[in-house]
Amino acid sequence: MSTELGVGRPTKRRPGAAVGGLPVADPRPLLDGDAVLGVRCTACRYPVAQDGVPWCPACYGPVEPARFATTGAAWSSTVVAIPVGERRPPFGLAYLDLDDGPRVLVHLAEPAVLPIGTRLRITGTDLGDLVAATIDDEVTP
Amino acid sequence: MNQPMLWGVGTSDYGLQPERRVESLAWTAVAEAVRDAGITPGQIDAIVVGSVFGPPGVATRVQRGLGLPGVPMWTVENACASGTSAYHEAVEAVRLGRFGCVLVLGVDQMSTLFSGAIVPEATDPEGAASLPLPGLYALQAQRYVQEFGVTPEQLAAVAVKNKRNGLDNPRAQLRKKAPTVEEVLASRMIADPLTFLQCCPTSDGAGALIVGPERGNPDDLRIEASAMVSGALWDHRTDDVWGYASVVRAAEQAYAQAGRTPGEIDVLEVHDAFTIGEILTLEALGLAPRGKGAELAPSGHTARDGAQPVNPSGGLLSRGHPLGGTGTAQIAEIAWQLRGRAEARQVARHRVGLVETMGGGAAGMDGNACVVTILSVL
Ligand SMILES: [Zn+2]
Repeated sequence: MSTELGVGRPTKRRPGAAVGGLPVADPRPLLDGDAVLGVRCTACRYPVAQDGVPWCPACYGPVEPARFATTGAAWSSTVVAIPVGERRPPFGLAYLDLDDGPRVLVHLAEPAVLPIGTRLRITGTDLGDLVAATIDDEVTP
Repeated sequence: MNQPMLWGVGTSDYGLQPERRVESLAWTAVAEAVRDAGITPGQIDAIVVGSVFGPPGVATRVQRGLGLPGVPMWTVENACASGTSAYHEAVEAVRLGRFGCVLVLGVDQMSTLFSGAIVPEATDPEGAASLPLPGLYALQAQRYVQEFGVTPEQLAAVAVKNKRNGLDNPRAQLRKKAPTVEEVLASRMIADPLTFLQCCPTSDGAGALIVGPERGNPDDLRIEASAMVSGALWDHRTDDVWGYASVVRAAEQAYAQAGRTPGEIDVLEVHDAFTIGEILTLEALGLAPRGKGAELAPSGHTARDGAQPVNPSGGLLSRGHPLGGTGTAQIAEIAWQLRGRAEARQVARHRVGLVETMGGGAAGMDGNACVVTILSVL
């Protein structure tokens, strides 16, 4: 565990236990086997990768628990070259639009800037973060 | 309804100043603004403070030195738009006649909080996943670059322009040397495609503004419009890159209120926390069509001697970015420009100015808040 940030120097921001702050409730989307957990609107089908939202943020309709596909298309990606929290550079991040699901932030198994629309599959988690890898046998039209 | 006017502006120096107290940064800015407005402190009816990292109680701690007995006071936190959000509340209060003379203060001291980039917020779904702010802007930039075929050189041109402008700003954090496009691209990578020289430095600083109704002073600036919007759902079903829609919402309101079109704006200060930020903001403000904003800096359109100078102060890329202290510094620069007192930074046409500040970082939202204001000389 890194102790270079936060220790003896608490800030107004909550840095989290990973970097020397107090623990906070984990706000990240959960992976449950072959699905990302969240809620979906029963009226307009809007997907959200969070629980506990009081209504659909797109149409105010009621929401129900949902399981989302772990596959999708990269909306964008980057390789971060600075240390952040427990992460040491380089590490890859992408916004992944899950098939018929929400957009989630994922870490890339192999850090790379990917072409828009690259097919990805969430393969697991690392330190609680969703991790995705490219799907080799699928080609984006 | 009263016509809100900007009576006076003042700022501290911007830069790493861990040896100074937060109050001292604020007092420097407030003293200059009060003198600039030609008022006595006792004329101030209310105080609105914009600050992200405070400390909590910063408004009262600043008041200790001001001696304003019990005037209404509140503190606004809207991420990078905190200072301009505080200003917006002052403008609306004056417009509605609630107060006659309002002191606005934007202040933050980053150097005593963070040793480098801002530590992501662990309660945020994406902050907890180690998405730093430059990473968020990099994801925005990669999408934009790939969608519209923008080159690294076009991104870098924004940094070259603003850092060159900043050389003439005695209050800016970075003013040693203006880099070339090659040097910007060769500086160390922060988050691909954003290199070090395409990211604003975190900074310490304060800016103060005095807002009041019309009083027949030719030095006062007419506040033609001020619009503040909060973030909305960043809906993945739209084509919008992160942040774009919130600036559009504020800009549309501001142009409508002022009865102006983008082409009528002479000079702008906009939120260039990262090079891509200036490009997308100028598209959202209507200075270029979608995908064409990247041409504005290389073509010279937004140069200080161009048709519509953008960030003649050097922007956040030169001045540095003490979150709450940024918006008020942007407004101060536009005030100096419109009055023709920006010295070496002075632009040729300076009748109408625009300031835009967008704050963000909350996952799933298209921004935390955005403020757009339009000012003009009488
Ligand atoms: Zn809905």
